[in-house]
Amino acid sequence: METRDVLVIGAGIAGLASALGLANGGFSVYLIEKEAAVGGYAASFCCKATDVCSKCSVCVAPDKIKEAVIHPQITLLTNSTIKKLSGELGDFRVEIIQQPRYIDVERCIACGLCTEVCPTEPKAVYPPSAEATPFSYILDEGLCLRFKGEDCKLCRESCPTKAIEFELKSKKQELSVGAIIVATGFEVFDAREKGSLGYGRCPNVLTGLDLERIFNREGYLKLPTNGNEPKKIAFVQCVGSRDENHGYCSQICCKYAMRLAGLVKYKDADAEVTIFYIDLQTAGKGFAQFYEEYKESIRFVQGVPVEISQTSSGELEVRYEDISQGKVCREIFDLVTLSVGISPRHDSWNLAKILGINLADQGFFDIKDSLGPNETNVDGVFLAGTCQGPKDIPDSIAHGMSAASKAIQVLSEFASRRRGNQRGH
Amino acid sequence: METKIGVFICNCGGSIKNINFDAAREKVAKIPSVTCVNLSSNLCLGEGKEKMLSYIKEENIERVVVAACSPELKEHIFRQVLEGAGLNGHFFSMANIREQCSWAHEGDVTVKAVELIKMAVNRIRLLQPVEKKELSVNKEVLVVGGGFPAISSALQFSRIGLRTTLLEKKPNLGGKLREIEGFYSLETSSMIGAVEEDENIEILTSTEVVGVEGKIGDFTVRIRKGAEEILRNFGAIVFATGYETEVSPQDFQLKLGINIISQERLAQMLQASSVERKPESVGFIYDVSDENSRLPTLATLNNALTLKERWGSEVYVFCKNVKVDSEGVEKLYREVREHGVMFLKFDEKPRISAEDGRVKIEAKDILLGEDVTLTCDLLVAEEKLVPAEETEALSTLLNIRTDSRGFYQDENVHLYPVSSERGGIFFIGGCRSDLDFQRALVDVSSVVMGVYKLLSPGKILVEAERVKVDRQKCRTCLTCIRVCPHSAIQLVRVDNEKEVAEISDLACDGCGICAAICPAKAINFEGYSDEQIVAQIEAIGAS
Repeated sequence: METRDVLVIGAGIAGLASALGLANGGFSVYLIEKEAAVGGYAASFCCKATDVCSKCSVCVAPDKIKEAVIHPQITLLTNSTIKKLSGELGDFRVEIIQQPRYIDVERCIACGLCTEVCPTEPKAVYPPSAEATPFSYILDEGLCLRFKGEDCKLCRESCPTKAIEFELKSKKQELSVGAIIVATGFEVFDAREKGSLGYGRCPNVLTGLDLERIFNREGYLKLPTNGNEPKKIAFVQCVGSRDENHGYCSQICCKYAMRLAGLVKYKDADAEVTIFYIDLQTAGKGFAQFYEEYKESIRFVQGVPVEISQTSSGELEVRYEDISQGKVCREIFDLVTLSVGISPRHDSWNLAKILGINLADQGFFDIKDSLGPNETNVDGVFLAGTCQGPKDIPDSIAHGMSAASKAIQVLSEFASRRRGNQRGH
Repeated sequence: METKIGVFICNCGGSIKNINFDAAREKVAKIPSVTCVNLSSNLCLGEGKEKMLSYIKEENIERVVVAACSPELKEHIFRQVLEGAGLNGHFFSMANIREQCSWAHEGDVTVKAVELIKMAVNRIRLLQPVEKKELSVNKEVLVVGGGFPAISSALQFSRIGLRTTLLEKKPNLGGKLREIEGFYSLETSSMIGAVEEDENIEILTSTEVVGVEGKIGDFTVRIRKGAEEILRNFGAIVFATGYETEVSPQDFQLKLGINIISQERLAQMLQASSVERKPESVGFIYDVSDENSRLPTLATLNNALTLKERWGSEVYVFCKNVKVDSEGVEKLYREVREHGVMFLKFDEKPRISAEDGRVKIEAKDILLGEDVTLTCDLLVAEEKLVPAEETEALSTLLNIRTDSRGFYQDENVHLYPVSSERGGIFFIGGCRSDLDFQRALVDVSSVVMGVYKLLSPGKILVEAERVKVDRQKCRTCLTCIRVCPHSAIQLVRVDNEKEVAEISDLACDGCGICAAICPAKAINFEGYSDEQIVAQIEAIGAS
């Protein structure tokens, strides 16, 4: 029998690209996602268009998410993780644990009645983030009185579609698949690790991810401290990239910082925006023309700040070495954005152990050799997206498609080899 | 005969409280063509779906409006019900009376809910049927080019059983493969051997593409070899025609010569078994004529390292930014610096002059903040990436726009990086962008996926005549043909008389540009015709 089932681990943008490629190519896909919603980070980013599209490709995510969720060839398992793997190429067996959601995704109509009646503060049952798919309410075990031994069932009684079920337990299932694509993504660098840059200490120091989400959910920028519009804004590049612990470039930060800076200028032409950088990464299809425009309106300073502190009046003092003048300068800003980079997931080693695949020296999953961008040391297990190394959205999609292509190639060969063997008997 | 429209209103489990559903039902029932109005509280759930299905059958409903939550959430579920009832999925519309009505306002919103429903009814009343049809596709692939991406994609196509023709204009396969093989442990001869032995791959060398007709799944390609021209059919075409490099001496006010050489010349010198005299100091310079390319950084780092190892010369690199945004390049950059290569970053263009048979470089180094003057035995000049010679001619031939630097494929790069505006035509590798080796590899296997998806089923499902030209109204002004980004429109002769525009269902992407621009209003985009849109607008405020 020909194996046409593939497992994709992780439903971020790369995993979705792999799953859709395979499904549209006639394969059946199990798409498992650790979180309650699919889409990964890309789903929460903001559109960075001004009068023209800045080609950040964030808008690609919702289409892919919707297509995958309703695709008849894709079985989506949310809240699921992989526990065990046995077998080999063409005949893997995978044990999956699915944590209970307590709220039936099919039955939840997102009406909000459960949240209204929930007696705890903060509420134990609440809506998912605005961009979540599937858009189903979430019941938080840690907050729900029921899981603390009390006999509260207000939400279940209020639910008009009887979508709430407290008694669910985690579910174990075994899947048989021919190939596996690992697309578990990345972690955003935790800017608190760079204590001197003030993140977590000064409220007006944000990260690139914070800014993405503020623009996505609110549409405009205001100072976290007093709600005023910031007038002097700085971006600090290479936070968590190209340093002693991260011997790589995250590949996304220069472009997102420039696009976000362009967006800030577009929303408020009087805002003064400065970008502190080491080397500007402006290569890539179609980016040159944007860079030429950004050069006109944004100040670029070579050299990254060493310290950011808050003055008594709540402004931010940025200390940096102005290389062109050869001296240490201090400058006051209203808001500083740290362009945080891509870090490998801290739980990667665990999955690497289960699957038997290698980690590279930085903690990303390793490829077998430089001629195969997706192949791991285990035949039939492929990598897609940022779990293999930093990538932007278009590169992640291409890498996801490439992984799907490799899975189809090995399964086609496996099938014809098996047919050959059968004829031989 | 009047079309029978059924309206299904859902109160979302009773959670929509500011609409008077009984009043709404009464008003909706009076809208022309509405033959049945059904009130439900759980339309998207099992029970609700069953009821909806049986109603459609009992009342012989032909078209359906669902007034409920946002189509983002449950539209696909209702479409499944329609399919189950054997109705055309095109005859369906949703009125969002929850997010865009009930939740958006305080107080009673029955009037608005009824108007939203009326808009949806008015729209689907005028819809015309759109049938789906299957068209068969040719399963052969043409790959144009002879370099690494071309060879490698042909081999991968063969692995999944697609017959491939590899077409190269030069007499031999290989392209720039021999120049880069050392960096990536490739063996040019074994790769070429593999394609030559592969029975799924046909190789045509000294051959050029001179014409492409037809559309996705069914291209006719005119191929020229010497004086001979032949026609061949393919389902998809992959262009991997690469790039070229040029050195612009005017950027340096100097001519290339013994002392100023290109990266390519340096690579040859480094590959040679011996050199006449090892240069004691070598300078590299880039970011002068093009500061937005990654390949000069990659070539410089690779060559500087080899140079250090082979000749042990002093090496200085003059640039604006080190482009490290490719896999492993930051690591390579560190290694190069550990080998003692010095990087000097300039903002203003350095001055280069000849001095005693050596090259003098004067630059203001922004890291030191000082003017630096260095004299080198050899200066390796920046190579600028330019599109391959035939790019312009081919892009005109294919009617595919090039980007601001003249490389293939302007639009759509972020949706699926290797595809183009025209279905079935793909671009990979250096002919579309300045890709490092890893990205080029990804391009190769990702195009294999794209083509597999398209051709492996052997047929494509398309909507027939969704966008259609009214032959009576068409005045042959050619506006639509000019604006169509997908080359989906052609002229056809009718009754041996006038020529009119005709839209190919296969190539049409449904963007609607032609319908909007046609000065004679001869193009109808079913579902979005003027009549249908006006009918919707007229429903606003009518009650």
